Amino acid sequence: MKRTAICVIACACVAAVAALARPSSASAGWCWPSCSSYGYLGPSTSTYTGCWFSSGEVCSYYDSWFNVGLAKTCYPGCDWNYNTTGVVLFGFENHDRIRGRFTVKGAVTLYVRPSEVSMSGLLRAQATWYSGPASQVNAAAIG
Amino acid sequence: MNTRLKLVLALCLVGAAVGAGVVVTHGDASRDRTALSNQGGPTIAIQGLSMKRAPIRSGHLLAIRHGRAFYRLAAVNGNPCFGVGSATDVGSPGSVICAKGGFPSGGNPVLDLSVYESSRHDLKEFELFRIEGFAADGVAAVQFLRPNGDVALTVPVAGNVYSAASVPKGPIAGFAAVDNSGKRLWRSP
Repeated sequence: MKRTAICVIACACVAAVAALARPSSASAGWCWPSCSSYGYLGPSTSTYTGCWFSSGEVCSYYDSWFNVGLAKTCYPGCDWNYNTTGVVLFGFENHDRIRGRFTVKGAVTLYVRPSEVSMSGLLRAQATWYSGPASQVNAAAIG
Repeated sequence: MNTRLKLVLALCLVGAAVGAGVVVTHGDASRDRTALSNQGGPTIAIQGLSMKRAPIRSGHLLAIRHGRAFYRLAAVNGNPCFGVGSATDVGSPGSVICAKGGFPSGGNPVLDLSVYESSRHDLKEFELFRIEGFAADGVAAVQFLRPNGDVALTVPVAGNVYSAASVPKGPIAGFAAVDNSGKRLWRSP
């Protein structure tokens, strides 16, 4: 009995140390399509992970995100003011709503924190095609 | 070489020079007359950003409106950026945009950082949640438009910044810049 108790306590200690050593959710990250490439976000694009919109949207898993960043290229072309014709919404969503900011800019980098859209807790970071042709984007969120 | 030939050659040279100038400037904002005359206050330290692609260390506070701070920022690589954030935490913008070509330009007199929302899954129709942004000199107000083109709300611009205390209900499908006489200068895609 005594041996079993010691074993249980030892296991609990090992589990506690392992849990403390594991990177916390604060270092979690999400990238689309990867952390070093761009993907085409168009009306039929989806991550098939239960995003707010079944198509035309990519989204992360639920987490306590610090911010979401979006890099958008000039694809399929920019005018002389670096505007594209593809309109993208980027921000966050939960079970009740989706919120974000729109951009048509090409060659642009944008960042937004959840508090900027008055959201908190477990959220999905999202990038959504709104209108025009597909946009070439890289989306990333850090926790 | 006769006079006529010289004239034709001179015209060709002038045309080529103008063309080259246009190609080189590529519509760069710094080359047109569109400006943002609000330079803001003294340089302040910017912190709390975790932006791998656009590290920012300092900026200028342009204005505080409706509890929101408006910043003109510069990335470490010199690229111009703009940001907004809570006025309770000045120096820590919560949203930042860094765009090639900068802002403003003739084809970009408004940098809208308004927040939009939707609670519908079946329709990509969005309402305003918060109104804020930057506007070039000469833009007196920003109009937010319904899908049918009607004006839902007109927000005045002061010090190159606009903000509203409340938002209209219902779908919004773009915005427009108007001058002092109410003449529409530009409309968003």
